[in-house]
Amino acid sequence: MPVRPLAAVCSFVLVLFNTSVLPAADSPASRIVVQPAAISLKGQGAGAQVVLTVTENGRQIDLTREAELEWLGAGNVVQIDDHRMISAMGDGQGELRVRLRSLDQRIPVTVTGVTVPPPVDFDQEVQPVLTKFSCNAGTCHGKQRGQNGFQLSLLGFDSDFDFDALVKEGRGRRTSATVPVSSLLLQKPCGGVPHGGGVRITKDSPAYDLLERWIADGLPRRIDNTPVVLSVAVFPSEVVLGRESRHQLRVVATYSDGSERDVTQWASFQSSDAPIAEVDERGLITAGSILGDAAIMARFQGQITVASVLVPHPQPAEAAQYANLPIPTYIDGLVWKRLQKLGITPSAEAPEATVLRRLYLDIIGRGPTAEEARSYLDSTASDKRSQLIDSLLQHPEYAEHWASKWADLLRPNPYHVGIKATLNYDQWIRQAFRRNMPYDQFVRELVTAQGSTFRHGNATLYRNRRTPDELTTQISQLFLGVRLECAKCHQHPFEVYSQRDFYSFAAFFARVGRKGTGISAPISGSEEFIFVADKGSVSHPLTGETLTPKPLKGEPLEIAVGADPREALVDWMTAAENPYFSRVIANRVWADLMGRGLVEPVDDLRGTNPPSNPELLDALADDLKSHGYDLKHLIRSITNSQVYALSSVPSETNAADHRNFSRHYRQRLRAETLYDTLTQITGDADRFDAMPADSRAKELWTVRVDSLFLDAFSRQDPNQDPPCERNTEPTIVQALHLMNSKDLYQRVTAKDGRAADLAERELSPEQIVEEVYLAVYGRRPSADELSIAVTDFPTDPKDRRVLIEDLMWALINTAEFVFED
Amino acid sequence: MDFMNCAGVRRRSFLQLGLGGLLGGTVFQSLTSQLAASPTAANPAAVAKSCILIWLDGGPTHYETFDPKPLAPSEIRGEFAPIPTQTPGYHFSQHMTKLAAMSNKLAVIRSICHEQGNHGAGNHYMMTGAPPRIPVGCGAFVSFHPSMGSAVAHQRGHQNGLPAYFSLPSMTRSGGPNFLGAQYAPFAVPNDPNNTNFRVRDVALPEGVNEERFERRQSVRRRVDQLVRITDAAAADPVRALDEYYQQGQDLMLSSTAQAAFNIHAESDEVRQAYGRNSFGQRALLSRRLVEAGVPFVVLNEGGWDHHTNLFTSCSKRLPEVDNTVATLISDLEQRGLLDSTLVVMLGEFGRTPKINKDGGRDHWSNAMSVLMAGAKIPGGQIIGATDRQGYSAVERVLSPENFVSSIYRKLGLDPNMVLYTPQGRPSHLVSDPTPIDELFA
Repeated sequence: MPVRPLAAVCSFVLVLFNTSVLPAADSPASRIVVQPAAISLKGQGAGAQVVLTVTENGRQIDLTREAELEWLGAGNVVQIDDHRMISAMGDGQGELRVRLRSLDQRIPVTVTGVTVPPPVDFDQEVQPVLTKFSCNAGTCHGKQRGQNGFQLSLLGFDSDFDFDALVKEGRGRRTSATVPVSSLLLQKPCGGVPHGGGVRITKDSPAYDLLERWIADGLPRRIDNTPVVLSVAVFPSEVVLGRESRHQLRVVATYSDGSERDVTQWASFQSSDAPIAEVDERGLITAGSILGDAAIMARFQGQITVASVLVPHPQPAEAAQYANLPIPTYIDGLVWKRLQKLGITPSAEAPEATVLRRLYLDIIGRGPTAEEARSYLDSTASDKRSQLIDSLLQHPEYAEHWASKWADLLRPNPYHVGIKATLNYDQWIRQAFRRNMPYDQFVRELVTAQGSTFRHGNATLYRNRRTPDELTTQISQLFLGVRLECAKCHQHPFEVYSQRDFYSFAAFFARVGRKGTGISAPISGSEEFIFVADKGSVSHPLTGETLTPKPLKGEPLEIAVGADPREALVDWMTAAENPYFSRVIANRVWADLMGRGLVEPVDDLRGTNPPSNPELLDALADDLKSHGYDLKHLIRSITNSQVYALSSVPSETNAADHRNFSRHYRQRLRAETLYDTLTQITGDADRFDAMPADSRAKELWTVRVDSLFLDAFSRQDPNQDPPCERNTEPTIVQALHLMNSKDLYQRVTAKDGRAADLAERELSPEQIVEEVYLAVYGRRPSADELSIAVTDFPTDPKDRRVLIEDLMWALINTAEFVFED
Repeated sequence: MDFMNCAGVRRRSFLQLGLGGLLGGTVFQSLTSQLAASPTAANPAAVAKSCILIWLDGGPTHYETFDPKPLAPSEIRGEFAPIPTQTPGYHFSQHMTKLAAMSNKLAVIRSICHEQGNHGAGNHYMMTGAPPRIPVGCGAFVSFHPSMGSAVAHQRGHQNGLPAYFSLPSMTRSGGPNFLGAQYAPFAVPNDPNNTNFRVRDVALPEGVNEERFERRQSVRRRVDQLVRITDAAAADPVRALDEYYQQGQDLMLSSTAQAAFNIHAESDEVRQAYGRNSFGQRALLSRRLVEAGVPFVVLNEGGWDHHTNLFTSCSKRLPEVDNTVATLISDLEQRGLLDSTLVVMLGEFGRTPKINKDGGRDHWSNAMSVLMAGAKIPGGQIIGATDRQGYSAVERVLSPENFVSSIYRKLGLDPNMVLYTPQGRPSHLVSDPTPIDELFA
């Protein structure tokens, strides 16, 4: 058994002179936390990370690399590196002395298994090495067809496959038990032979040693009774850092035999937001120069944990600045609390006309008319905002606007399912919003849909998605905010879900029966019936085992004979204790109104992508649940908040805030909203194909209805799978369309349009300008604006009309119209 | 492996823009034109500045174009006779006379094949280099992966105020950007350049607005545009992006290069006649003008090649037009010194069935197809691969759509093995098999 003699053994004191400022110079030793309390290492190269932290002014300061570590004990037992990683070198016992200023502490250390190393287990020891060095990453040998003929399963989810690839394939050159060092598994990553992926492992590293021992052991497939990893934990799990400061993480795995092992050196780390906090391969976090928060994921053997990092403003605002902020709703208190933690102050309140326009745009999908704006601005009622919110929620356009958003998520491609099925589905969705169907019922009726696609619009869901795995992907993402798609083919890289979880969930859809005309090219025109079949099962694609329906992170459910498994699924989904269901819809509604979600993307709720304000997300979800999943109630709560009414113009401290809602985030208006508002401004009716006269853009039942305007401003593309998010950013095509579109020109200059009408009326130039401003911006012009606009105002109605058209065109072409401010 | 998510991408790109601003760079560096491909020591294959891709939508017959089978029984060989080309031993079908006469400039690949026998899937595979992930219907317009044009636009950026990717008159089924984002969608020009009043949508003043009135409107606009711009770059004010695009739009309108490119009326009657006075011919001419102006990717999406019925009647009319237009395009590019830097490609979703059906047509057949390539220093006078004696399937030098798409990327200076990230953070290779077709590279 080769035990590698290490070239440079440094087992004595290692002192690193760090030039960084030491804010904790006078911290009493008693406040410095030293981890771990004891170290037990098993096997050559096993390592334990020592971490020293002190908390100053609510921020953690990492003192790890400033501490002096000294081995007190006989022999060459451990090695200490500059990151304060303690690595096993020889069997023995002793103490590690940790000194930093007045701190002087000892950690007992035991090292075993170096002289007589235990056999190496492929699953528990070799696989972590292949994962740690990205051998099995999606960009290398883990990609679908491997790399240069050598393929591993992504992140090592299929050990049998990987074992065969290493041991049985490649004509035996990948691993050679007779001459281990000649194995390509060792030669390639250390650069002994050319390797497209470059040098990944050095010959003196624990990884090399481990791989070599496994090969020399005779390439065992498994070692009996090897404990398996049950969970991993990271320390610290929450850390507040100053800008550009650093902090070391420790990762500890718990095994099935109850033992714990430091796996910091084998874990993979990933930051959710690297500009805020980066993490390197050794688990050392470096905060960036901007404030915010990030989640640092540590992954080991398919187990995942998260450390949350907060980088607050360097000069936090005084507590008094938060004390006087208004708290009209539960939302406000939770946002202010979060902002105080970040040390930033909210923007000022937006002007009332700005809030007015937001309310119309957000709730009914168009700007206010001139009359609506005037009457609101002139009202002196103290509760006029909440009154307006209530009346907008009763407005018929409310249902069309919100149904149109949901249609984006559900709408099928009519080329796929047929026109009538698409239309029926659209109408079903609209009807649900017109009736204000509680959201849990809405989901129930979709998930358990049955019947003819010509009579039951919701059944089109099952015509569009035809296999259990397609349904799993869509339903888990839409209603649970869980993106299971990765787990269809491999272990989810950022989640705990395995292929088994995916197909156990898919088993809920195993008995969806279809009869009638299926999808037939080129036009799928006919009727199809969706029903609950007596038979049907889903099996694991690798093992072939038939799977019992099982909710995510739950136990398999027994489905009674004759019952619809989908009923059991939706019972679990909509149960009060389901952690996903109410949060994902609360987050969607919040994002619709606030410009972005507490979790982004809105349908990607996972531990490694935590919400920016978890308490707020919980409170919104509870609010919705406790009010019978009435979406209008949630909209009312949010739009009545002070947070909703904040200005988009930054305060002194919050310009860099993009996810904590300390200011309103400007957004370009949605294509339909822009279009419907233009209709209202110009007074020129719409002309859509396949729609009744005077239909609004938000009433379109399919995006196949031609509209260059809607195309330019982006609408859902049912050709994308899954139907992709709209592009919400401006583009050059949009700018050109506003400038030069023939259609827009004709609408502004329509002979029975608003400009023509205003020109004919007995109004002063000031009145006309005010009318145009109210119609386009929902506000009155300022004195300056008024004086600019009325200059050279002609008296001849014909000239007047041209001037009004030009003013209207000019306002439509400004950012104030195109954006919600 | 990088880690991204949907908002992460957006937020991060905002932040990056913001940082760029702080560091004194322009906020919208990403929008400014990047270097055009040029052959370098590291990448000698990157000779093409532009690509004109002629898409014959429906699946053009390989028998009646570039892969005649005179020895096959009559129900397979069809009504047309083979003609010799300028290259000894090689034959095209009888209507491809002008292309046959310049075969020393052409490479014809006869052996690309795949398993996607319907339009939606075939288009997706050939336009993106990736097969559709789930079965799709024939009429489907689907996108699971960025198209070649979008990927090129993404890598190259726009030139001279012109969008980087044009599709005339419309986007092909799978010609979209998929996860790259809508700004890389093709700029479609639906208007017919064969019309006497042809103009490109939205890049010139609408009828009824003269320059004076436009200027007046713009001056009103400048005065009424009062919304506060958030100057702190860290705030990543999207309004500033609109300002930037608005300015670019004006540049495009005012750009003499761009406007000149669109002004097909500046061509002499002789040239217009040579290309063919039909929509397809004039679109080919317009695409040459766009390439001259620096546009890196132009698709001519020409419908009507799904010949399930009356193939010979239709092809007798249309093939001579295509033959003439494409031959004219290639010689015109050559005369202007553009052929070495312009890749010309012509193909459809797949080939067509060997046996002529009862309606005198041929049906979908993805076991064989012929693809024409020229320019970009492709060695001419070659036929790559072969089908069997009856044209049933590719048998020699069998090539995949991945090989084909990788070759186009290589010519344009894009690494087909490049890793892009979807908004979900999933790494996606530009092409899963990045092996190009060696014969196309001298």
